[in-house]
Amino acid sequence: MAKKDKGDDDFRPTGTLAILAIFIITLIAIWTTIYMILVGRGGTL
Amino acid sequence: MKQYQVSAVEKKFIGSHLLVAILALAVGSLFGPLQAFEHAGWDLYQYLKPLIKSYYQGLTVHGVLNALVWTTFFIMGFLTFNVIFGLKRPLKNLTLNKVGFWMMVVGVVAAAIPILANQATVLFTFYPPLKANWAFYVGLTLVVVGSWVEGWGFFLTYKDWRKDNPNERMPFIAFGSLVTTLLWQICTLGVAVEILTMLLPWSLGLIEHVDPQLARTYFWFTGHPLVYFWLLPAYISWYAMLPKQAGNGKMFSDSLARLSFWLFLVLSTPIGIHHQYVDPGVPPTWKFLHSMFTFGVFFPSLMTAFTVIASLEHAGRKQGGSGVFAWIGKLKWNDPAVASQLLAGLLFFFGGIGGLANASYNVNLVLHNTAFIPGHFHLTVATAVTLSFIGISYWLVPYLTGRKLWQPKWAVIQAWIWFVGMIIFSNSMHVLGLLGAPRRVPLGLAPYVPAEWNSRLFQVGLGGAILFVSGAIYLIVMYKTATNKERVEEEVEVPIAEPMQDPANGPIWLDRWAPWIYGALALIVIMYGPILFDMIKNIALTSPGFRVW
Amino acid sequence: MSSQKLHVDSYERGWMIFSAILLVAFAVAVSVAAFGMGIQVPAPEQRVDPRTVATDPNSPWSNPGLREVAPGKYDAYILARAIPLWEYLPKELTVPAGSSVSFYVTSPDVQHGFMIQNTNANFMVIPGQVSKLTVKFDKPGTYNFICTEYCGSGHAIMYGAIIVTP
Repeated sequence: MAKKDKGDDDFRPTGTLAILAIFIITLIAIWTTIYMILVGRGGTL
Repeated sequence: MKQYQVSAVEKKFIGSHLLVAILALAVGSLFGPLQAFEHAGWDLYQYLKPLIKSYYQGLTVHGVLNALVWTTFFIMGFLTFNVIFGLKRPLKNLTLNKVGFWMMVVGVVAAAIPILANQATVLFTFYPPLKANWAFYVGLTLVVVGSWVEGWGFFLTYKDWRKDNPNERMPFIAFGSLVTTLLWQICTLGVAVEILTMLLPWSLGLIEHVDPQLARTYFWFTGHPLVYFWLLPAYISWYAMLPKQAGNGKMFSDSLARLSFWLFLVLSTPIGIHHQYVDPGVPPTWKFLHSMFTFGVFFPSLMTAFTVIASLEHAGRKQGGSGVFAWIGKLKWNDPAVASQLLAGLLFFFGGIGGLANASYNVNLVLHNTAFIPGHFHLTVATAVTLSFIGISYWLVPYLTGRKLWQPKWAVIQAWIWFVGMIIFSNSMHVLGLLGAPRRVPLGLAPYVPAEWNSRLFQVGLGGAILFVSGAIYLIVMYKTATNKERVEEEVEVPIAEPMQDPANGPIWLDRWAPWIYGALALIVIMYGPILFDMIKNIALTSPGFRVW
Repeated sequence: MSSQKLHVDSYERGWMIFSAILLVAFAVAVSVAAFGMGIQVPAPEQRVDPRTVATDPNSPWSNPGLREVAPGKYDAYILARAIPLWEYLPKELTVPAGSSVSFYVTSPDVQHGFMIQNTNANFMVIPGQVSKLTVKFDKPGTYNFICTEYCGSGHAIMYGAIIVTP
């Protein structure tokens, strides 16, 4: 099975990296926002 | 080449799973919008009084039917298909699987009776000492044990296949399904112990008291991997079917897909305490350890994101797409199976972000039991999973019944409406949570709701209304398809995305069960052994039951 | 079946390495908040018998309320209950701004939640267990505390307030 098609070898998922970059930026932004709420509210001990 | 023929009896058997699943979704989804409307100040529950006594009873119906029954039946049906079609052989013992299926059906009925009689208004987490009628616990037990029995049927079928094909790599859809089954069989031990050693004898009056903290710990032993039991079948479709449907794409990395499934098996159980960060009876050391492993289980999800998107990009480029993003438009968006699953995957990005925040140890203090949580899981189980299953049903039901999908255009519209409704609903729930709104509360009634929440509460209701429309269209399309006089000319082609590299060339350890199973069990013993030992040794059976609804 | 090595595309390898680093960064951030800034989750405090905790005269929850343990430092014993009515005892606490209050909350009946709005005090209340976290109230105002776990038909009305005076 899995016969190679022409072009499979030079397929570079550049679009994938771009989408994931947007995702990661969003992830860091949202996560950090919530984290800063936590830190702003102070200690619990 | 003609595809493997699944027998008519087996197709019918798989179809029965889908029928129960969709019926559960139909009834359960009636109640979802009622909750959302209540938030917006349109309380329809007052008109349902003779039938449904309260918001909470409606919420119990919604949670049990949508999160437990719809998912479990759809999954068992889809996995049955994957095992048969993937291994290209009939089930070893169809009777055994039928026994499992009927146990599940009886279980649903047994649990439904007390729920509808308002004798089990305990929500789908059924935390003691809220005490439901015994039939509720019997019903849940039968659903779980029935799903085990069906799983044993899969394992027996696999054993025969392996005997006949000692050196062959297992086809991916069968592999993923068996790993999912195994994960389920291991993780449900928690809730099985909870019900059989505490809740059931207690509800029958055999014991008088339970230990609520221990019960929660058993519950979440199962409760988190349950999430992966829901997700992995969708992942199977995203990895190995969707790229083909989206434009004849190939699976970017078969080996890493298998590795990620093994990592889910190993890592998804020993992290359950991340649902108990703010429980008083669990030492912070264990909470912290579980949080670190939870970051670990995020890793295979990130791997999945890459492989799935790359496979889709491959499909888009094959269709002549170019540029960094333009290929996305070339995917077959007018195929409802594709549109549903792409939109499901898109919202799952945000589900993942919310999940990571919930799981981040003390960050949970900001989010725990706020409206953020249902906001989050309506992106995961109610969209990533549910909308994907809906997408799968758009090709699987025509495949099983031989009847043409009724009005594919409407099916595509349905997916888009779900997407829009869920964005509105879920976004407002997340924001409300951050503002401090609690979950599981009829906020239309709550005396402490400040005026600044009102616009968001309205959006919750609006999202619910849009989702209701989408659900109704789905049910119409399914009904019209199941009764469609127009038949497909030839059997629907099962979409299987070929891997880019020959899977036979992957490393041999990706095909070994033992190391992964031992690894999973060892981690469970390490991460749960001491804390459970301690809790059981110091068990405090001091809580009698309460029926306060 | 061969025993070839795992094939990983170079882009994907880069992504995996980046993912791992990112997750470690998050883990470090929560650890800093937990161990550096004292933003901690509840720890086992004390176990009680829910059947007697509200009535036993030796139990602080038989007489719930504020105790000043040092200047500006308070212990608040709070009972969260569904029977006979869904409420917290006491319903209202008053402290001056700048006070540090340790909340000790338990339940004589079902599970409840306890979340003080706009603070990091947010935890489960479980019969048989005592939940404790501490909050420092610097800004005057009214801070509602709300039940965040389903506890029966009156769940939605279960709340109280901390009044922080200037």
